[in-house]
Amino acid sequence: MLKVENVTKYYGDFKAVDNLSFTVEEGKIFGLLGVNGAGKTTTFRMIMGLLEPSSGKITLNGKHINYDVTDDIGFLTEERSLMTKMTVLEQCEFYGTLKGMDKKDINKRLDELLEKFGVTEYKNKKIKELSKGNQQKIQFITAILNNPKLLILDEPFSGLDPFNVELFKKEITEMSEKGSMIIFSSHRMEHVELFCKKLAVITKGKVVLEGYLKDIKKNFRKKTILIKGDIKKADLLKLDGVLDVIEKIDEFEVKIKSDEYVNSVFEYVKNKKNITKFVVVEPSLNEIFIEKVGESYEK
Amino acid sequence: MKSKLNYLIGISLKRKIKTKWFVVANVLIALVIMAAINLDSIITLFGGDFNKKTTIYVIDETNKSYELFKSNIENATLLGMDKKDNYKVIKYDKSIEDAEKKLKEKKEKGNIVVNFKDDKETTIKSIITTKSFLDKTDYTILNSAIQNTKVALATMESGVPNEVFASINSSAKIERVVLDKDKKSAEESMDMIMSTIFPIFILPFFMLTLFLVQMIGAEVNDEKTTRGMEIIISNVSPKTHFASKVVAANLFVLLQSILLFVYGVIGLFIRKLIGGNNIANGSFDAVLDMAKEVLKSGVGEKLIYIVPLTLLLMILTFIAYSLLAGVLASMTTNIEDFQQLQTPIIIISLIGYYLAMMAGVFEGSIFIKVAAMIPFISAILAPSLLMLGQIGIIEMVIALVLTIVVIYLLVKYGLKIYKAGILNYSSTGLWKKMYKALKD
Repeated sequence: MLKVENVTKYYGDFKAVDNLSFTVEEGKIFGLLGVNGAGKTTTFRMIMGLLEPSSGKITLNGKHINYDVTDDIGFLTEERSLMTKMTVLEQCEFYGTLKGMDKKDINKRLDELLEKFGVTEYKNKKIKELSKGNQQKIQFITAILNNPKLLILDEPFSGLDPFNVELFKKEITEMSEKGSMIIFSSHRMEHVELFCKKLAVITKGKVVLEGYLKDIKKNFRKKTILIKGDIKKADLLKLDGVLDVIEKIDEFEVKIKSDEYVNSVFEYVKNKKNITKFVVVEPSLNEIFIEKVGESYEK
Repeated sequence: MKSKLNYLIGISLKRKIKTKWFVVANVLIALVIMAAINLDSIITLFGGDFNKKTTIYVIDETNKSYELFKSNIENATLLGMDKKDNYKVIKYDKSIEDAEKKLKEKKEKGNIVVNFKDDKETTIKSIITTKSFLDKTDYTILNSAIQNTKVALATMESGVPNEVFASINSSAKIERVVLDKDKKSAEESMDMIMSTIFPIFILPFFMLTLFLVQMIGAEVNDEKTTRGMEIIISNVSPKTHFASKVVAANLFVLLQSILLFVYGVIGLFIRKLIGGNNIANGSFDAVLDMAKEVLKSGVGEKLIYIVPLTLLLMILTFIAYSLLAGVLASMTTNIEDFQQLQTPIIIISLIGYYLAMMAGVFEGSIFIKVAAMIPFISAILAPSLLMLGQIGIIEMVIALVLTIVVIYLLVKYGLKIYKAGILNYSSTGLWKKMYKALKD
């Protein structure tokens, strides 16, 4: 289990991470979200042992992070961390050896992963000669080459087409099923929702939202009702508890303050003609994020 | 961690050596060195009048100048101005008009007519006739021989007895006494010799320093700009990473020095095969002759301690340069920044190079003696001054100790900067960050 306990990190007088705590259990995928500059990279760097926390502690399976422990961690950075002049094989041998693997194991595992991601023909090609998407595949391969106990994925789907996103998702899920602890960070909330049962949202180094996604959504009082039929936007806006109404091509999206106001909306709608849809939906993670962080994550 | 260090050293060397640019650069360097050693043969290969023999036709209207002049020409060549065999002095009995006609008809160069005439004021007068311009060496030799002929004739005509005349003409005996027991008189002529030989040895040192600094800068920046550094440093400590760069760069320098030496040996072997030194004053053979002179002059005994001390100082200086380059490279965020930052290193190295060249000219300069003990430039300067006898072993040892102190400081404080620098990607507040790293 990865345990981040009351970790604070200062850069001079600037507090980059403020009393951050979370745990990631074996076989679980944990989402760490935040806007740019929220403190995610600093947190990842502390988990990787690249930075020492100013206070608090980080342990992996009870051990303080050191160079013996980092051999069991895989890290996919947001920026490309590949030596572009090397070939795919050289790159994997380089990072694999630094992870304590021997050449034979590296080659075996590399062949297996290249096959899985459909890039076997690039084994002896220089990384700079590959497309952005293929470079991302190689970067992902280098991160999982050592079958890490802890895998940190910072924007893993960057530069990938939908087909390859599916390949990555499959592999991440498989790794999780095999027992790897995974920390996942992405700007794409639909991806986070898909993977992470548990997450934390940080802003300015502080946790503003934390817990299981199911509970977070349940506890998030604002709901959305999707309605199809002969109704008027102006009438809906007059109803108690209605925050906003978005008129779409064939339906209305009604935002309400909480579950309590579903009935009053239903009372208004039930007498209207041609009502074919009335669905109460959970808020998206994106909505929750925007609400909690106070600004769009996509900015 | 030790095996990871060895691996990093190996991969650094492999990345440097297994490139086509390393091969191309070495092929070019090898060609340049071999060509330089065989430059005279290359020049003669393309043709030219390099083996010209000068024939001097003497029309002696004074009837007393020919023998003296012939002897003085031989003496002049003995002084090393040119080879004796290159000059042939022939007495010409016909008129000057005939001689001029002959000169015009002859296709080959190197024919000179010297016409000696009596002169009341200057004892003799000479007219030198050639088809075209005289070359510098011929003119110097002729001038010297004619001048000596005139002095000899004037002395004889003044009624000086034969024994006295012989005494006047004989070379003066010079005996040297040096009171300083540490100085051997044979070393006195070393200044000129060393000023010629030493640049040949210190130029590769300067070149290798550049290779070393550039290799570390390029590698650290490559890893930083690709963010590969994050992955590397999460698996090996900055200390191990720093050590791997320093060791790899120094091993590369060692390999490159061996290659330079091999290219030199091949060049000499080619020279031997093709029988070089076609030009009379072949510069390379002149250098070899000088080197032989140096060894003969008793400096050979000195070399027993000069060579190991020089090698030790050079190795330590390379280590110091690599540490400094590593620290500076860690602070930069791209190769362009590093290229700017390496300029002071190159200038420091250049200062050492020029001071070493000037050491022979400004003998006894306190400034140069003090500079010989300053780390980074001492490796170039101190050995040359030691060889010239301008400094002793004590100064050399001080230079060694100071370099070790600099290495210690670079390891102790430089490593702190390196640790903070390699994961820093912004130049904003750089000095503040580095100062903070030093304080931590």
